[in-house]
Amino acid sequence: MSAILFRHARVIDPAARHDAPGDVRIRGGVIAEIAPTLTPEGGERVIDLDGAVLAPALIDARCWVNPASTGQSGIDAAARAAAAGGIGTLILAPDSGTGMSRPEHFAAIEAASLTSPVRLIASGLAIDAQGEMGEIGLMLRAGAAYVGDGGRPEPDTRLMRRALAYASGFDAWTAMTCEDAGLARGTCATESDLSMRMGLPARPAAGERLAVERAALLAELTGARILLDRITTAGALKALEAALARELDIAATAPVTHLMFNEMDAGGFDARFRLEPPLRREEDRLALIEALAAGAIAALVSDHRACTGESKAHPFPEAAPGSANLEALLSALCSAAAEGRLSLIDALWPVTAGPADLFGLNQGRLAPGAPADLVIFDPDAPVIYGRGGRVCPAPSAFENRRMTGKVLITLVEGAIIHQPEG
Amino acid sequence: MNRTGFSYDFRHANLVSIGDLNPLDVRMIFERSTIHFDHNRAGVRAERTLDGATVINLFFENSTRTLASFEIAAKRLGAHVINFSAGSASISKGESLEDTALNLAAMRPDIQVVRHSAAGAAAHFARVTGVSTVNAGDGAHEHPTQALLDAFTLTRRWGEVGGRRILIVGDILHSRVARSNVALLNMLHADVRLCGPATLLPEDADRWGVQVFHDLEAALEGCDAVMALRVQRERMSGGLIPSDREYRTLYGLDHGRLEHAKPDCLVMHPGPMNRGVEIDGALADDRERAVILEQVEAGVAVRMAVLELIGAASPNQRYDDRTKGGAHS
Repeated sequence: MSAILFRHARVIDPAARHDAPGDVRIRGGVIAEIAPTLTPEGGERVIDLDGAVLAPALIDARCWVNPASTGQSGIDAAARAAAAGGIGTLILAPDSGTGMSRPEHFAAIEAASLTSPVRLIASGLAIDAQGEMGEIGLMLRAGAAYVGDGGRPEPDTRLMRRALAYASGFDAWTAMTCEDAGLARGTCATESDLSMRMGLPARPAAGERLAVERAALLAELTGARILLDRITTAGALKALEAALARELDIAATAPVTHLMFNEMDAGGFDARFRLEPPLRREEDRLALIEALAAGAIAALVSDHRACTGESKAHPFPEAAPGSANLEALLSALCSAAAEGRLSLIDALWPVTAGPADLFGLNQGRLAPGAPADLVIFDPDAPVIYGRGGRVCPAPSAFENRRMTGKVLITLVEGAIIHQPEG
Repeated sequence: MNRTGFSYDFRHANLVSIGDLNPLDVRMIFERSTIHFDHNRAGVRAERTLDGATVINLFFENSTRTLASFEIAAKRLGAHVINFSAGSASISKGESLEDTALNLAAMRPDIQVVRHSAAGAAAHFARVTGVSTVNAGDGAHEHPTQALLDAFTLTRRWGEVGGRRILIVGDILHSRVARSNVALLNMLHADVRLCGPATLLPEDADRWGVQVFHDLEAALEGCDAVMALRVQRERMSGGLIPSDREYRTLYGLDHGRLEHAKPDCLVMHPGPMNRGVEIDGALADDRERAVILEQVEAGVAVRMAVLELIGAASPNQRYDDRTKGGAHS
């Protein structure tokens, strides 16, 4: 693998809280040197970044795919979209396809890994849709990053306790969906003045808080490491803060959509904003940004799901939930930073060092010897998330959204996997 | 061995829990067991220390080997044995269990051997009937004669279990064998370890005076003996373990795994075995390592010792004036 010297970069490494101009040399698939100025060596390719940001390639801890599909919702399509979005590592959701509860279910991911531009990591179901425990130990041995309920909150607390206790024997994170199963059943919106006027079946925000409190008690009872899957409301974030203060082994993820949108965006019954969890109130969105700035969110996830046009072509409550977000992740973060509510380095932490620390990954940081998984982007360049310019044209909440932040180059293991302007 | 050889009398008319015994009691049981074991193996007829006594085996839960072991033990000592088991008409006629037990007690048996699926059943029947009771397994509580025969098997091999490292692997949570073994091995100063998935280990098992492991290879380090417990099929559903395949991969004993233990580590199993799940068939059949059949053989000898000692200490002992005040004269 050839050596590349990136000059005149704005080097941002959230792991080291480093944000300064500098040069970066990569060689043999790993980062070789980082310094204020480096002199080109013979035979080395030199790329002048002219002040663009150089950061660790993003790690997306939740992306739903259908491993059996060769189309938009398949692994290959997701991997290509991820590369275009500056993502170097894609962790596939446990409920991918019809659910992954045995190591055999990872076969398609392993096969796709051979040709995928980005790193693919599986995760597994701790409890499958039939209420049976997944092969947690075997899946972790087969490389699963974590196990979880796969978006289906388990109503049976005894079963949940057992799954957590079992997983704790492997020191693994168990993801629990931030919802109360009963309160969320059959709903598509957050209970509010707006959703009530619109006549939408809605769930109270309290259901999410209930889930956090329940998880905290279960963490205490079982000693398990619980990953709160997609926290989105102010009340639940307060409960998370309290759980973290009690030094429980708890961490949380948040979906990028809820950083950008609130329930008003779904106000026109637009099925592209039919998401799971549903969009929340503006104060919830602001609380989420605040939590991000405070470092309370360990992983910000794309929660990407490529829905077909037909599955969205229904009245709002009946439309399939989900949105294609892989290519919007970085722009959404840059836009949030541009709003001035959090710094770029804080915005990048939960998509780099945060998930890397959580799952013990080597990538996600800039240090000599670390894998040369990099993203180079212009944080101030305006972009329109149009259907034409995207690798993944599936319906997205970000459709036609004006944002800032444009990916220039994505590298994985020292190889350029995405560079739109050659 | 003559009773006068001890300066101590076995005072227990019941054996419900290992906690009833002290180390001297255990030594007495083992000394008598050694005699019976050698006689049984040599085909020498035992002293008929329970000649004419009546022993009732009250088995409210299905059992083949434990029932047979108690029956043979009592018969070798000359007792009359009556078996009542779960399927038999007398138990399934709709009479309450307590009434059954009281009726049988009214027939004045000398000893009753009780197995039941509820913890505390043996103590309960001992209390309501006043008959000398041996617990042959009560729910997940205790199975004291199993622990005694396990420790006896090891003692025969090693001379002493004190200071030896013994690992119990498997479903500790639902196991009466494990509870009795932990109590007895601790009493005998062995270094006891437990290993299994967190769902099959009791909360706070680390307070039982044992070391708790979730990783079998780490747990096997330096072990002198390892005991695999049976995994019930019904544990596979209900979220305790995912599948027998995963259980075998993580907690199944085989020759390869045993490399982590001491080179001459013994392998035990209280039976019945699930070959290919908790124990590999080839290992179970390896007579160099596995002492599983020896455990069964020891079972008869230990139960003979327990029955005769309890019979001698029993306040309702009536069957033979000869043995009053000295069972082994």
